[in-house]
Amino acid sequence: MNAPLSLTTPAVSVDIAGVNLSYGSNHVLKDVNLAIEPGEFFAFLGPSGCGKTTLLRLIAGFNQADTGHVRIGGRDITDLPPWKRDVGMVFQSYALWPHMTVRRNVAFGLEERGVKRAEVERRVETALGLVGLGHLADRRPSQLSGGQQQRVAVARTVAIEPKVLLLDEPLSNLDAKMRVQVRRELRDLQQRLGLTTIFVTHDQEEANTICDRIAVMNDGIVQQVGTPMELYERPANLFVAGFLGTANILKGRVVGSDGARAFEVEGGVTVPIAETTELPENPTLVFRPQHATFAAAGGVAGEDALGLPCTITHREFLGASIRYGVRIGSTEVAVDMPFQSGSELRESGSQATLKLSPRSLRWLPA
Amino acid sequence: MLNRRVALAATLGLSLSASLATIALAQAPSGKVTVVTSFSKDVTDPFKKAFEKAVPGVTLEVQNRNTNAGVKYVEETKSNNQVDLFWASAPDAFEVLKGKKLLTAYKPKATGIPEKIGSYPINDPQGFYFGFAASGYGIMWNDRYAKANKLPEPKDWQDLAKPVFYDHVSIASPARSGTTHLTVETILQGEGWEKGWRILKEMAGNFRSITDRSFGVPEAVNSGQVGVGIVIDFFAFSAQASGFPVKFVYPTVTTVVPANVGIIANPPNKAAAEAFIEFLLSPTGQEVLLDPGIRRLPVNPEVYAKAGADYPNPFTDPRFQKMIGFDVDKSEARTAVVDTLFDQLISFQLDALKGVTKTLHEVDAALAKKPNPQAKALADEARNLIAALPVNQVQAGSPELRGAFTGAKEKGARQAEIESQWASFARDNYAKAKAKAEEALKAAK
Amino acid sequence: MTAVPTLTPPRARRFAATPGQIALALAIAAFLLMFLVLPVATVIYVAFTDKGTSTFTLVNFYDFFRTELFMRSLWNSFYVSAMSVVWASVFALPLAYLTTRFVFRGAALVQTLGFLPLIMPPFVGAVAMQLFFGRNGSVNLLLDDWFGFKIDFMEGLNGVIFVQSIHYFPFILINLSAALRNVDRAMEEAAQNLGSSGFRLFRRIVFPLAMPGYLAGASLVFVKVFDDLATPLLLNVKDMLAPQAYLRVTSIGIADPMGYVISVVLIVASVAAMWLSARALKGRDYATTQRGGGGLAKRVMTPWEAVLGYGTVILILALVLAPHLGLLLLSFATIWSFAPLPDAYTLAHYGRVFGESSVYIKNTLIYASLAGGIDIVLGVAIAYLVLRTKLIGREWLDWMASAALAIPGVVLGIGYLRTFYGVTLPDGTPLASLWITIVLALAIRRLPYALRACYAALQQISVSLEEAAENLGATKSRTVRRVVVPLMAGGILAGFVTSFSTAAVELSATLMLVQSNSDAPLAYGLYVFMQSAAGRGPGAALGVVAVILVAACTFLSHLIIERSQKAKGLGH
Repeated sequence: MNAPLSLTTPAVSVDIAGVNLSYGSNHVLKDVNLAIEPGEFFAFLGPSGCGKTTLLRLIAGFNQADTGHVRIGGRDITDLPPWKRDVGMVFQSYALWPHMTVRRNVAFGLEERGVKRAEVERRVETALGLVGLGHLADRRPSQLSGGQQQRVAVARTVAIEPKVLLLDEPLSNLDAKMRVQVRRELRDLQQRLGLTTIFVTHDQEEANTICDRIAVMNDGIVQQVGTPMELYERPANLFVAGFLGTANILKGRVVGSDGARAFEVEGGVTVPIAETTELPENPTLVFRPQHATFAAAGGVAGEDALGLPCTITHREFLGASIRYGVRIGSTEVAVDMPFQSGSELRESGSQATLKLSPRSLRWLPA
Repeated sequence: MLNRRVALAATLGLSLSASLATIALAQAPSGKVTVVTSFSKDVTDPFKKAFEKAVPGVTLEVQNRNTNAGVKYVEETKSNNQVDLFWASAPDAFEVLKGKKLLTAYKPKATGIPEKIGSYPINDPQGFYFGFAASGYGIMWNDRYAKANKLPEPKDWQDLAKPVFYDHVSIASPARSGTTHLTVETILQGEGWEKGWRILKEMAGNFRSITDRSFGVPEAVNSGQVGVGIVIDFFAFSAQASGFPVKFVYPTVTTVVPANVGIIANPPNKAAAEAFIEFLLSPTGQEVLLDPGIRRLPVNPEVYAKAGADYPNPFTDPRFQKMIGFDVDKSEARTAVVDTLFDQLISFQLDALKGVTKTLHEVDAALAKKPNPQAKALADEARNLIAALPVNQVQAGSPELRGAFTGAKEKGARQAEIESQWASFARDNYAKAKAKAEEALKAAK
Repeated sequence: MTAVPTLTPPRARRFAATPGQIALALAIAAFLLMFLVLPVATVIYVAFTDKGTSTFTLVNFYDFFRTELFMRSLWNSFYVSAMSVVWASVFALPLAYLTTRFVFRGAALVQTLGFLPLIMPPFVGAVAMQLFFGRNGSVNLLLDDWFGFKIDFMEGLNGVIFVQSIHYFPFILINLSAALRNVDRAMEEAAQNLGSSGFRLFRRIVFPLAMPGYLAGASLVFVKVFDDLATPLLLNVKDMLAPQAYLRVTSIGIADPMGYVISVVLIVASVAAMWLSARALKGRDYATTQRGGGGLAKRVMTPWEAVLGYGTVILILALVLAPHLGLLLLSFATIWSFAPLPDAYTLAHYGRVFGESSVYIKNTLIYASLAGGIDIVLGVAIAYLVLRTKLIGREWLDWMASAALAIPGVVLGIGYLRTFYGVTLPDGTPLASLWITIVLALAIRRLPYALRACYAALQQISVSLEEAAENLGATKSRTVRRVVVPLMAGGILAGFVTSFSTAAVELSATLMLVQSNSDAPLAYGLYVFMQSAAGRGPGAALGVVAVILVAACTFLSHLIIERSQKAKGLGH
């Protein structure tokens, strides 16, 4: 990839305010509010059926909101038809037209805009150069590999110099190795163009590795917006906690009051709660597998650490670490221990004490 | 026929033996008799009913095909013939069948039928086919159409060449319709070869359309798509009987020609086929012709007693007595030539012919207002160019020319070559005539 | 890696067909030779013989190209066929596009009604059309009354184009609709996203993607119009090729090879048109391989678009169904002559039809169903052999079957008589006199329709679905039965319906082969009625019965297939 594309328009923001959308009785988007910064690489992340693609298509103009507004660079585009929005979209299936060559595919949007022929040719060259496919311009889409097709789809979209770039699961049709390569290329391209980009995916790893910020969606609702690290460290709810990485979730109830508060995990084990801790309604205790360790035989070291009696149920070797299945009360959780050769392994069935730092605990509403 | 039935009755009466009766029955007409016909259901149904009543035990199986397809069918299936009778209007179709040895001779026993109707012999002299009904050719028109377009009532062929009828007349192609072929041949014989063609072409200049099947003409007149049609009489009579607002007239030069029936060579059920012919010619059969859906002229003069007073009777009506005689041999010798001439000079050049005719009508209109001998002379030249013919009467009947059309074994001119010559003859002449007519129009104005 | 000498046979061997496939191909070839090539050859060989000597010659073709009339006819036939394709497209495009790509109330009804013009009973159809659009038809009488002018809908070549495009546009409608349904919605959206909309979007993206379906329909229209003789003759247009052939072949007493020469030209031209349309798509990858969202999502029209859309659809339907309306009026009319409407109405014609003609209706249903059945079996088999095997010469099966489209019915009819009349059953009945001969002739005449539908259906099935079945242990034949045929069901049905309904109103070949009234189909009954003034009403009534019957069967089979598709989870 060489010749940078000159973008005359500065990056713009995308604001989504109070958007609701229903298909009959099926409420697909529920009061969605998002503010996407200019030049940001933003992801809509969630399981299939969460409404992320619907939201993306709404920005492109293929779906109409029942209520709410979409603004791009401050301009309300809610009622504009798709072809007047200047929002470039790369489709999941790429949607390359089989009856046109690569060159004609890329030129299409420019021709529709009435760009002069010479200028069209120049910009097609630039766009194809940008994705490194200049030499395949006269092939037909069916003669290209999946990765190449994907890059043509991107080139076709950026050729029109859109204000916003929308990517609908652009990596889902690629193999694992290509996926890693292409996502890096996409990030690279976005950085060079400085283009506000929205990326739809169900794969948290994809979102984490290339996006500035992520909106986690479920059931038509934006669950949380934040950088990948914020979402991992401070999930706003059980769904976010569980969707990004592995989370251990202990259900139970609060017993006692004030300084003598404790959390009784289902199945009997009790965890004391620090006086300063603010608890949500009906709390659940959440921690990541790598945030727990086993106490050395004989007791809990360290004053504020919590010790929970537990039983080892099974063991998996993951390479860099060993994952233990551990039962606390009636709940099974995962505990990751770094693997060092020669270190002592715990056998399944043995009793142990799980050591947790209060700082690594999250109290989330059930 | 009668004798045989008496014999049958006698046998039955004398013998009580079932086996004997079976043998006797096998000799009497029985079973299925198949007839290929061009007649419509309205004609065949009453006959079927009456015939099956008159000759019990015989079923009439009707195969409806147009005349041409019927001839083709009989020809193609002769190796294993399943057809007993051929029953159609056009005598020339029977001539073709006879020529190809596809008919069986028979001598009808029916009495009371004269030799000739008008001047046309009712039966084939060699006894291969027999007339059972007569039809005359004439002009049919739609009354509502005529009123709306202010057309006068035509009386004769020449009337149809008048400017007022321009684009209002329809005819079936003589190559496709045996009856129309006879009409054309009648005009040619009645007026002579040269004059006949002149009249035909002058009429043709007013043609709206040339249909490829006989019934196409009355159909178009019935529904009012075309004002005037050149048709066989019963088309008009049966349309009138059905309530259509149509009228009909016999022109002075016409003829009555019999519609015929004949036995196919090698018939599967000869006895029943003969029985059918006898029935057709019997008074009972003849009376069926008076049915309002059929309306054809019986060949047995006595049957007219049962018809209404206004029913045309060719045996007493003086109009029919004046009608010209018809030379069957002459017609037969030049059938293909006449039809092909008509197609090449008229059907396939109709647009050109109509174009020049229209201009000539305009010249006439201008001359009527202000006579102009120079324009008149030019118009006459144009008319002569139109009337010119690529072959004369003698050539038309010559065996050489005939051979080109009937696949004669000897080497000679191919039909396509001759057609091509005639077509360019007509095209050139009509183009020249058009130029003359334009000139005449300029002079007349 | 060390070089290992390869002991496997050359790759080409892999493509050799299974014995079953070879046997199937041979069986089909034998069938086509027996019932198509041989009978036709017995008739048209005359075109290649010298007059008098019966030796081989091409002089007749020389004559053909030298005769002004034939050259004019050839050009007219091309002109009329091409213009009919244009106008048929004008009628079909809006109907197909609106009903497949939009939420359109009554889309199924439009599709069914849009099929009706194909079922135009012979003779009465033309009469009804004349009464409506003719020089003194209802429309022109009213126009003349109100505005003092007339429009020549039915005059000359333009009249032929008008009638033919109304009659045959369903071919484009059916094929184009199927293709449009298969265009991935993302293809359209991608273009909108890049700034394209409205007609440009249709012209640049949607229509090109539906091209295979459109071309399939358009080539059928072209060939049918090129080879149709009935319409030009009914409009009294004779300077076209098919009527010229017919007029010459059926003139009595004339033994002219020109009719057969023209037949040969017709066959060659039709096969060439089919070949060209196949050629145009060759090596191109179209809608069939698209993945993703599927083409079934439909857009909602804005109120303004809806008014325009429904207006257009109603206008087109009114135009193309006018002949059927005319037919209906005619069937109730006492006298209808030179008037915008009949003089009075009666039910008597239906009484006569039901009294006399139920045997025609029964025969028609039997013959047309059998012919349609034979056609789809052959159609599936030929499509499979051509598309899925590497048998040498397999395309010839396709060309042979498609050539049937171009053979005038009367030539086939005469050929059957000539070939099979000499062949007798043990009791002496000629083979050609059995009603099964009519069925075979109908099947051969309508095979191209079913074949094209089966072909398109098979093209849209990914080979990987068959490979999956084979991988799981299914043999070729079981794969065809359990995977291919169920997936092709829609296309097969479309083929059956087209074959069935057009066979039900076929006349030219039937007329030659009907041996007795009790074996006669409906078209023959119509012919018999339409030969007399009194038969016009009953003829129209029989025509209405035919249309309703065929339409009902069409609709019923749609319902059946939809239900079974739904049960299989294939439908929508």
